Amino acid sequence: MIAVILVRDGALPAGFDEAICEADRRVMLVGSNVAEAIVDVRRFARVVWTCDVASSHLPVSAVASVVAECLRNVWKGNDRPETETQLRAVHDREAIVLPASPDGRDLAPHLAYVLEREFHAGATRVSDGSVTVSRRGGLFLSDIHPQSPFVATLQIGIRGADPLSDAEGDRADIIEIPQPPSTPASTSARAVQHIEIQPPDASTMDLAEAPRILGGGAGLVDSGAFGQLQRIAGWLGASMGVTRVITDRGWAEHNRQIGTTGVVVDPDLYISFGISGAVQHTSGLGHPEHIISVNTDAHCPMMQISDVAIVADANEVLDALEILLFESGEAQ
Amino acid sequence: MSSSMSTSSSSVVVCVKWAPPRLTGDPAADERFGEMSAADQAALEFGLRTAEATGDDVVAVTVGPQSADKVLRDALACGAHRAIRIDTPSDVSTKDGASAAARTLSALGAISLIWCGDYSADRGSGAFPAFLAAHLGLEQSLGLIRVDFGNSGAFPLDVVRRLDGGRRERSRVISTSVLSVEGSVVRLRRASLGRSLSAQSQPIEVVASALVPVEPPIEKPYRPRARVIPAPTGTTPLDRVRSVTESASPKISADPVELDPRRAAELILERLRDWGYTA
Amino acid sequence: MKVANDADVIVVGAGPAGSCAALAAALGGLEVILVERGPFPGSKNMYGGVVYPRILDELVPEWWTTAPIQRWVVKRSTMLLSDAGALNIEYRGNSWGRPPYNGATAYRPDFDNWLADQAVRAGATLLCSTTVTSLLRDEAGRVIGIATDRPDGELRAPLVIACDGVNSFLAKQADLYPPMDSSHFTLGVKETLSLPREVIDERFGVRDDEGVDIEILGGTSGVNGGGFIYTNSDTVSLGVVLKLSKLAGQSTRPEEIIGQLKRHPAIAPLIEGSEILEYSAHVIPEAGLKMMPKMTADGLMVAGDAAAMCLAAGIWLEGVNFAMASGMYAGRTAVASHEANDASARFLKRYTDSLNDSFVLQDHRKLRNIPELVLSDRVQHSYPGFVTSVLQRMFQVDNPRAKPGLRRIVREERKRAGIKLRHLLRDGWIGMRGFG
Ligand SMILES: Cc1cc2nc3c(=O)[nH]c(=O)nc-3n(C[C@H](O)[C@H](O)[C@H](O)COP(=O)(O)OP(=O)(O)OC[C@H]3O[C@@H](n4cnc5c(N)ncnc54)[C@H](O)[C@@H]3O)c2cc1C
Ligand SMILES: Cc1cc2nc3c(=O)[nH]c(=O)nc-3n(C[C@H](O)[C@H](O)[C@H](O)COP(=O)(O)OP(=O)(O)OC[C@H]3O[C@@H](n4cnc5c(N)ncnc54)[C@H](O)[C@@H]3O)c2cc1C
Ligand SMILES: Nc1ncnc2c1ncn2[C@@H]1O[C@H](COP(=O)(O)O)[C@@H](O)[C@H]1O
Repeated sequence: MIAVILVRDGALPAGFDEAICEADRRVMLVGSNVAEAIVDVRRFARVVWTCDVASSHLPVSAVASVVAECLRNVWKGNDRPETETQLRAVHDREAIVLPASPDGRDLAPHLAYVLEREFHAGATRVSDGSVTVSRRGGLFLSDIHPQSPFVATLQIGIRGADPLSDAEGDRADIIEIPQPPSTPASTSARAVQHIEIQPPDASTMDLAEAPRILGGGAGLVDSGAFGQLQRIAGWLGASMGVTRVITDRGWAEHNRQIGTTGVVVDPDLYISFGISGAVQHTSGLGHPEHIISVNTDAHCPMMQISDVAIVADANEVLDALEILLFESGEAQ
Repeated sequence: MSSSMSTSSSSVVVCVKWAPPRLTGDPAADERFGEMSAADQAALEFGLRTAEATGDDVVAVTVGPQSADKVLRDALACGAHRAIRIDTPSDVSTKDGASAAARTLSALGAISLIWCGDYSADRGSGAFPAFLAAHLGLEQSLGLIRVDFGNSGAFPLDVVRRLDGGRRERSRVISTSVLSVEGSVVRLRRASLGRSLSAQSQPIEVVASALVPVEPPIEKPYRPRARVIPAPTGTTPLDRVRSVTESASPKISADPVELDPRRAAELILERLRDWGYTA
Repeated sequence: MKVANDADVIVVGAGPAGSCAALAAALGGLEVILVERGPFPGSKNMYGGVVYPRILDELVPEWWTTAPIQRWVVKRSTMLLSDAGALNIEYRGNSWGRPPYNGATAYRPDFDNWLADQAVRAGATLLCSTTVTSLLRDEAGRVIGIATDRPDGELRAPLVIACDGVNSFLAKQADLYPPMDSSHFTLGVKETLSLPREVIDERFGVRDDEGVDIEILGGTSGVNGGGFIYTNSDTVSLGVVLKLSKLAGQSTRPEEIIGQLKRHPAIAPLIEGSEILEYSAHVIPEAGLKMMPKMTADGLMVAGDAAAMCLAAGIWLEGVNFAMASGMYAGRTAVASHEANDASARFLKRYTDSLNDSFVLQDHRKLRNIPELVLSDRVQHSYPGFVTSVLQRMFQVDNPRAKPGLRRIVREERKRAGIKLRHLLRDGWIGMRGFG
């Protein structure tokens, strides 16, 4: 198995580490300014192929053929003529996994297309012989046993990643592949023209990546409270998460639901308002460094795993918070 | 009716998928409840808006069994001019479905824009639009969360999509390409009574296909996967042991404190300051 | 001012009544629009599970060859439940399992959808996911169409047939109803229980596509009402029908009452090991004639539950066939009214007449007093215990004691149950007049 990771100007996508670990620590980095990314990649990978593509903002189809070209080279063994042929034979049937980051989701199908492989999106587990994909917005899983080599994208935040010991990391072997001659020069005659990258807006950030989360549950009495929670989260540089009770009520999008049937998160900070802490919720919570809970029930599970457990009406506390933040001028 | 007679130069294509609810023994889980995903509805709405601005025809396309006609009728009722179904025995792989759709679309004549949802309700791979773009050799901009029509409604369109880390990518669509939109971006208009009626009798063009159906996947409830904890760090064995035991040791939870709202809010902000989250 | 009509007749509600009205009108050559609020006909509809579609012979020849049925009812039984025991009177009609058949179990989403499809094949236009929000009236107050929840959502026609089900808000809007009285309604609550085909065959003593219709008296935990059990191919419909007024008084919730019914020793073995697939509830117009509205107004007819035509007389819970028949007559009257170009209430009286001449109102008249009798406290709370304990003593062998005489048992048990002889006689008389 091998991970393929698109590097934008030295920046690595979310979930790159998980994809590398899932792929037996074999990874190919393609993109602009790859060198900058090496340091971080080393912490996880044993074998790293790099291909620096001079021209940035290529059409995704062009990037796909570049990657395909590089992979074929690796499989042919052109990168390291000494590898034994039977090993290569294995490799050109190996599964290819990309992180399900926006770039990964964009590139993967095109890669499958040029390599004429099947494609499995949003996997929660990938191995050479089998892949588990989630369906119906994450409510269900289904196991697939592909008969032919395939490309898959791995959901972010699904497995975690364990770094190599520093010593090992240093031993990683890094093989540069020259940019294939076929690579087109980036053209301005594009149907879709890149304008700019806008900076993060935590309050709308995908939950899985959010370092700070304010969670709201059935203790919050009306849908309005979640607009308020969203606002306050924004001011505190946090994202909003909710429990299933809330998504069931249609007070928040499913992609805001934290838990086993929602998004699996792993923030540093979690503040819960009116959440009982049912296991289906907390099992999706990761290992926050700090947890604060506001709940009228001093003894509910959520309060018991909190660093600060406040017995109070969550709705009133939100109001108070909003006022305080206004007074302190932190609310814009 | 009259509009569907119109022979406009080019067409806006909207790909919609009929997604049956999960079929179980439950009489309530009934295939006839199947409909298009919120994302497809958003795609249809944008398709209609572009066409209204450019005077193009809207062509709704689906790959699926006869039951899928339902979503095409819905599309016609909302204002689509033509409806094409690529006939398949049942669900097919995203790859095959997209290639069949591509074949049909390339026979369609001039296409100004192709709209898709970013996720179908059942499979939700988000890959169909990308495959479509690959087959047709078109560019793509997927998972849009904002679409600004400018004043004309025609090209150029300013669009925004998510990147990771909460960043956004702004791009400008200046010619034919494949766009997919998130469901929450816009709500589909409600079909007028008149159109709902005429849609009943409007023809649906059926294109034969020799696609092999995928056997319906076995769906089991979501189970989170065990997450790996980073290996112990630290130079001395003692440090490593500590790092493990501490990361593993359960939190020493604080005793609950009962506070009035104002005081509670203050405490929260104090802690955030102590912990270095806020200045 | 004269506005163009969108159709000759608009039918509201694609249930059994609406679809038959649309079918009959379409067969008569009328342009029909059938408006349904659900995503497809039957999608939102529930009932116990048995239909007696004989009347369809007039509309869909050999309907049994195409109708989506679960099992053909070959056994009808009536159960009397008490804490002491159960009395079960069962009849098996062998011919009921062969064409032209008698009754069948069917799922409403299938049956209603099929019936609506018959109307569409006959030329009617079906419009789903569209809710009718009000009647359109002209200056003279004549009904001239409907308004729906869709943009530019008005439809005009000289005639509207309201088949929008129990508590019809269209009929109310046209002031056809006397003030509602909650004691005229019962609440129907039903569970769909999954069981393997073979298990059902074996437990209910049927095979192939044969099915069973069981009506139950007593066993509703002191809330006046009745119960039913119907067999589908691989599910069993089990439910209770409860008097709303009594239910309000009680603290027991319908689910609990079903639960207790399921635990009764006479019922439990039938459904053992089954799993609940679906739980649903719906209001039934119970008082028959006593609550029926005026059937017509200028430009308007009312059919089916909308006109309280459900016959719910304890051991009978029939509404679909009454709905289908009344719908059919309304549809036919629509054709006549179209030809005569007269949609006045006076002309539409023909509809009421054909109801009177048919089983629809004749059965209702015949069974006028039965619902009340069946739901009366005596029948509900005294008789089941009385009868079962009489039988208990008749069949129980108490040697060395000699068998007691039946007359004595009856007297003693009647006294113990606190049933006055004259009441017994009167109820018996009403019953005879009704059922006999
Ligand atoms: C198969 C399955 C999967 C599930 N998956 C998920 C999932 O992915 N995510 C998820 O979140 N849930 C999931 N659930 C649901 C989960 O079991 C709980 O029902 C849910 O998490 C409870 O949400 P809640 O805490 O908001 O509501 P409750 O459990 O009702 O808790 C409300 C809390 O608010 C407190 N409260 C009430 N009023 C106030 C007030 N005025 N001020 C402060 N506090 C107040 C109460 O004391 C209580 O602790 C799943 C359940 C099942 C069966
Ligand atoms: C628990 C229970 C058990 C029963 N068991 C049996 C049984 O075993 N056998 C039997 O024969 N009968 C039974 N009945 C009675 C039977 O279900 C009804 O009598 C029958 O369905 C009446 O048919 P209908 O067409 O008049 O009304 P419905 O079947 O109620 O149809 C009304 C239709 O109108 C539609 N509608 C309503 N309002 C609007 C609107 N504003 N705009 C558009 N559409 C609208 C509804 O969606 C529905 O499709 C039972 C009833 C209940 C509640
Ligand atoms: N069978 C299909 N027919 C038509 N459009 C489809 C089909 N499958 C997917 N699409 C389109 O592609 C989008 C993403 O679908 P998916 O790749 O299945 O998540 C959907 O929102 C539709 O717009």
